[in-house]
Amino acid sequence: MELKYLFNSLPYIKPELILAASLVIIVVADLIITKKKELLHYIALAGIIAAGYFVLEQFSMNAFAFSSSGNKGMLTVDSMGAFFKGLVLTASFFVFLFSFSSNEINESRSKLGEYYALLFGMILGMFFMISASDLILVYVSMELVSLSSYVLAGITKQSLRNSEASLKYLIYGAVSSGIMLFGISLIFGITGSTNLYEINYILRSPETNRVILLLAGLLVFTGIGYKISAAPFHFWTPDVYEGAPITITAFLSVASKSAGFVLLIRFIKVAFIQNSLNGYWQLLPAVDWKTILLVLSILTMTLGNFAALWQDNLKRMLAYSSIAHAGYMLAAMAVLSNQGLIAILIYFAIYLFMNLGAFFVVMLISNKIGSEEIDNFDGLGYASPFLGVSFAIFLVSLTGLPPTAGFIGKLYIFIALVDAKMFLLSVIMVLNSVVSLYYYMRVLKHLFLRKAEGAPIELKVSFPNAVVLLMLVIPVLVLGLYFTPLVEFAKNSISVLGF
Amino acid sequence: MNLYNIIFYLFAAITLVSAFFVVTTRNVIYSAFNLLLTFFGVAGIYVLLGADFLAVVQIIVYVGGILILLLFGVMLTNKIVNVQIRTGATQILPATIAVGAFSGILISLLVNTEWKKVGTALPGASTTANLGMLMMNEYILIFELLGILLLVALIGAATIARK
Amino acid sequence: MTIPIEYYLILSGFMFLTGVVGVLTRRNAIVVFMSIELMLNSADLTFVAFSSYLGNSIGQVFVFFVMTVAAAEAAVGLAIIIAVFRNKKTVNIDEINILKW
Repeated sequence: MELKYLFNSLPYIKPELILAASLVIIVVADLIITKKKELLHYIALAGIIAAGYFVLEQFSMNAFAFSSSGNKGMLTVDSMGAFFKGLVLTASFFVFLFSFSSNEINESRSKLGEYYALLFGMILGMFFMISASDLILVYVSMELVSLSSYVLAGITKQSLRNSEASLKYLIYGAVSSGIMLFGISLIFGITGSTNLYEINYILRSPETNRVILLLAGLLVFTGIGYKISAAPFHFWTPDVYEGAPITITAFLSVASKSAGFVLLIRFIKVAFIQNSLNGYWQLLPAVDWKTILLVLSILTMTLGNFAALWQDNLKRMLAYSSIAHAGYMLAAMAVLSNQGLIAILIYFAIYLFMNLGAFFVVMLISNKIGSEEIDNFDGLGYASPFLGVSFAIFLVSLTGLPPTAGFIGKLYIFIALVDAKMFLLSVIMVLNSVVSLYYYMRVLKHLFLRKAEGAPIELKVSFPNAVVLLMLVIPVLVLGLYFTPLVEFAKNSISVLGF
Repeated sequence: MNLYNIIFYLFAAITLVSAFFVVTTRNVIYSAFNLLLTFFGVAGIYVLLGADFLAVVQIIVYVGGILILLLFGVMLTNKIVNVQIRTGATQILPATIAVGAFSGILISLLVNTEWKKVGTALPGASTTANLGMLMMNEYILIFELLGILLLVALIGAATIARK
Repeated sequence: MTIPIEYYLILSGFMFLTGVVGVLTRRNAIVVFMSIELMLNSADLTFVAFSSYLGNSIGQVFVFFVMTVAAAEAAVGLAIIIAVFRNKKTVNIDEINILKW
């Protein structure tokens, strides 16, 4: 590889370069600024917006960068990647806005510089996870995301709960990445390559041993399943989501999950594809991904929904609900078709707004009352009708009822399932949604139908927070009725695929 | 039985036996010292496989870095309030069954698979130059990314450890 | 090299399993961490063995990268373990249970 070629690759990683630069700027600014630490919020937001500008450039790009050997590179820069990078950036934008008024973050103001530096490290890792097409890069970027999130889960001054969350996160994370690494080593042994495209090329020859490939695939899936909190690898999720500061929980539940899903899509779609027929992918016979994904998706959504029924802590309940949502998206993945892929994209875009919104409301209320227990939320719907109504909208959307956007997300997954004649899975999905209705509505019952004990609590939403909340509520309502642009956008993001 | 075989069996035995003791010893300090032997054993196997550079890095990074860190961890978490160093173990039965089944599958697959062998094309000479070329050319992106990863780890460790 | 590759693989397979057993059975966070290092080492060993028998240096580059990551992970991990210990005066995972497992 010549130096000239290296320079040619640089334009493809402009957003990543901006993020890395923002990380360094924040570290330096944290040293210089001693009094007005609030400035760091604005620097971080500026970094996100600048990176967003360059991500927009990447739509309709279709290229490989940093080729290791031959013509396929280490990075795939394509529209699907840009779509998910946009999602990650939007999520970070909102989370940064949340951080302005989060009590947990404000109480540990001296760590604000580290907080943002680590967040940028995490976003950078997610960007590389999203566009990685080489298993070495996959591993390193996943570790970058993990390392920063272990620390972020325990960053605030509520030390005990926090540090416990980060210890659990660390142990589960390190084990699953170790297992994944062993799987990667087996894949390397079978194919002699770490590039997903080359692996695919070699796997197409009939003499590759199938059983060992199944084992290796499952081991690698362990690492990815941990990131998206799919069923047998979800144990960390409730504990970490409950223990971590709520801004981090919100970020993990959306951004980390979406990066994990892209990885899953690329891993299956690139390394195991044989050919594509009418948008349906025909995979190599070596690993029966369809059955694996099907079983895991049923397991994940059922487990998430049923465990959520018993939760009294709202953060924990939202953690289980996010596991259930991962299950719905795995169902769309199990279709193994472009239509399923479009459904995942649509679902993620909607999930971003409704899930972040729900976490934001919980944060605003718990800022005031200092608790996330559902019993302490009694009657608070009347203390601030604006908060109460928007929380209701988010919860209805999470359940997947019309006329909210959540319904559209579920509808597209459903269509993809029915189109692939996977009726059993679609029935299970509907039943699961019915179960989820119970625990989402239970929150609303507490908010509106229970009388508050003791003195009534004043809940005032400041003007900036009201604006942020509106920025989350409006998409949930609008996308529920006028969703064609989003669907078209998702379709376009798939049409120019880097593979 | 030639010299290579003897060396292999020697190092393999060191590695496995000490790894076994890492997991089974009740005293954390003994676990740490057994881990030291495991790392040395693996480094020996690396030399046998013609990866001289990695063998040295293994000793520098694992023994000189990670193991020292772990020992610090043991000291810091035990000496302060005199908590017992001995530690218990739980869930032995289900773990044994699960791991037993998994090990059967894993080992039989490793043995029965026809691994591709291109022969031992690695030269007898040092691999350092070759690795350097790869790291600075094809894998430069990851090399740089690791720099950021280390920075993040540094910031993170300092943040968490600071009160 | 007269030793077949399977020998190296069996060695690393057993090392990996030892690590898994350690993670599953031991309750001291530091020992769990050591077991994780065993798992990483066994994966490294597999890489080097394959890389040597395939005549392909990529595996060795990967191992070098993994070592770097492992060192970073150990630093962060130990910092977290010490933070927990400072709050709770124990590194026994079963006693760390404010959050339900």
